[in-house]
Amino acid sequence: MATTVTLKSFTGLRQSSTEQTNFVSHVPSSLSLPQRRSSLRVTASRATPKLSNRKLRVAVIGGGPAGGAAAETLAQGGIETILIERKMDNCKPCGGAIPLCMVGEFNLPLDIIDRRVTKMKMISPSNIAVDIGRTLKEHEYIGMVRREVLDAYLRERAEKSGATVINGLFLKMDHPENWDSPYTLHYTEYDGKTGATGTKKTMEVDAVIGADGANSRVAKSIDAGDYDYAIAFQERIRIPDEKMTYYEDLAEMYVGDDVSPDFYGWVFPKCDHVAVGTGTVTHKGDIKKFQLATRNRAKDKILGGKIIRVEAHPIPEHPRPRRLSKRVALVGDAAGYVTKCSGEGIYFAAKSGRMCAEAIVEGSQNGKKMIDEGDLRKYLEKWDKTYLPTYRVLDVLQKVFYRSNPAREAFVEMCADEYVQKMTFDSYLYKRVAPGSPLEDIKLAVNTIGSLVRANALRREIEKLNV
Amino acid sequence: MALFSPPISSSSLQNPNFIPKFSFSLLSTNRFSFLSVTRASSDSGSTSPTAATAVEAPEPVEVIVKEPPQSTPAVKKEAISTTDNVAVEGEEMKTTETVIKFQDARWINGTWDLKQFEKDGKTDWDSVIVAEAKRRKWLEENPETTSNDEPLLFDTSIIPWWAWIKRYHLPEAELLNGRAAMIGFFMAYFVDSLTGVGLVDQMGNFFCKTLLFVSVAGVLFIRKNEDVDKLKNLFDETTLYDKQWQAAWKNDDDESLGASKK
Repeated sequence: MATTVTLKSFTGLRQSSTEQTNFVSHVPSSLSLPQRRSSLRVTASRATPKLSNRKLRVAVIGGGPAGGAAAETLAQGGIETILIERKMDNCKPCGGAIPLCMVGEFNLPLDIIDRRVTKMKMISPSNIAVDIGRTLKEHEYIGMVRREVLDAYLRERAEKSGATVINGLFLKMDHPENWDSPYTLHYTEYDGKTGATGTKKTMEVDAVIGADGANSRVAKSIDAGDYDYAIAFQERIRIPDEKMTYYEDLAEMYVGDDVSPDFYGWVFPKCDHVAVGTGTVTHKGDIKKFQLATRNRAKDKILGGKIIRVEAHPIPEHPRPRRLSKRVALVGDAAGYVTKCSGEGIYFAAKSGRMCAEAIVEGSQNGKKMIDEGDLRKYLEKWDKTYLPTYRVLDVLQKVFYRSNPAREAFVEMCADEYVQKMTFDSYLYKRVAPGSPLEDIKLAVNTIGSLVRANALRREIEKLNV
Repeated sequence: MALFSPPISSSSLQNPNFIPKFSFSLLSTNRFSFLSVTRASSDSGSTSPTAATAVEAPEPVEVIVKEPPQSTPAVKKEAISTTDNVAVEGEEMKTTETVIKFQDARWINGTWDLKQFEKDGKTDWDSVIVAEAKRRKWLEENPETTSNDEPLLFDTSIIPWWAWIKRYHLPEAELLNGRAAMIGFFMAYFVDSLTGVGLVDQMGNFFCKTLLFVSVAGVLFIRKNEDVDKLKNLFDETTLYDKQWQAAWKNDDDESLGASKK
């Protein structure tokens, strides 16, 4: 019987711990199996009590793609949802590329997409340029969006589904004493009338989804731990119209030690200008130098352009050590769901927000019951099962191909191969690892090794010249 | 008087009509004196040669091309920059700051002209490899802008596989085989002297076979002193990302182990 008191901090790990005292007899059997978490998904949701006269209240902190998608799914699932966003017209520094599957999965209207990129150019350190995109079909493209447009659209949809959108800044939260007490959120509400300072308010909710980005305060308040992050630096440049036609539907990627020691430089077309940027994890202090080098490499093509905006932001490199704690879960950039190698985050943010919200809706049976950590763990499990292979593959690609100039040369050489292009686009656009033909895979492996060997041999030659 | 003389010399340099004659006279001289004269003139009045100078005047480029291919790119760079400094000072700085591009007689239209690498009627692949290495080294030190008008078409896979093997794999293989042979000979002698077991009997022993495997692997993977650390780091690197993802599960496992004890 003493176990019910001491088990307060372990709610959700062992479903039986959340049962009422009558069912304590189930506790010992499940506690004896600490390793296999998947085998214990049995009785948690049945055991939490029904909420008598109200729906489950969930707060979503952060109104970007993750927060907007989460709030919409929660509201549609019959849960009382509050979305707190600090800057409604936030023009986020972002590449702005979304894969094709996002348009379908999130029912995005086509006018949100400013440009459809169907061609990409990869440029190696020795300026060997490779055109990618020949294998794309008519209807396939990479969508370029303006973040302020996309974020506002998703928030509006959440509001239409029944969520309450509040313009406010989340400050901190008080953790509950018992497993069914509410979280108290402290936030500053800006209602436009009281000016810039806003009024301090509190709110009581049953669960929190932290979707507040790379510098997440929700993550800090649950001691989620830190992650390594890259700095992405970007300049928006308005170039003359005749140069803009080159970038009509083409994006460029520059690789090289001059552009970034562990990432790539890019030129992405936006609505009426291009975004030229680069990023790095290990040499953050030299980011300006890398940016100059990127501009230098694209110089001919952006000549005569005017810089209209300079922006920078952190990109997480891997998930935080703890992505959830009791009834608080992190999604999107706050959790660190950005892929390596390509640095893609928008789709994964929106998808994780949706997945977390779905887990809450299911665990609470459409808002009728209280949830516990076990329900949120289901979201983590589903996420890891679905996307961990993708993350792993991109991590391997980054480790192998971004480590040195010869590796980057080999990378660009490999991208010239049609099979590689087809596989890359298939996995990027549809987020599925399509089974290729084994013969082609072997050919690809041989070619990769050949390219790496040749590039490294040339590097040894270069070192001989240095001496 | 001192006030007047400097302006005159600099204005003469800046006078556009003056310049072509000046540069032509430089160009017509012998290559070596050409270099020394331009160096002198660069010291006298012009600004220090920077990387960003124009290569627009066709005359300097012609001279460079006539130079024999053995000259290193570094010399070419100096020659181009000093002449162009003198030649271009009169023009105002345009928005286009053109840079020195990689120049070589055999690099035509974005790829190596293999006909110029022929030796005894066959292409000398070794010199192609060396030329490409020089180009890449140049670009590492002087990153160039890419341009749509001059696409780069060179692909290293046109160099046949046996050329790479002959140049890079065979010398290293010789080295490693030599090391393995020395180690093998001395280990065989050593073991024989200690235990009296001859070479043939050694091969039948499991422990000796294990030692043989370890020494072959050691010779293959540890070629330089730094390789030991590199291999250790490599192992950590491959497993780090996975560990970061599993961290979310690990924390709670520890807690649960703590709970079960209670």
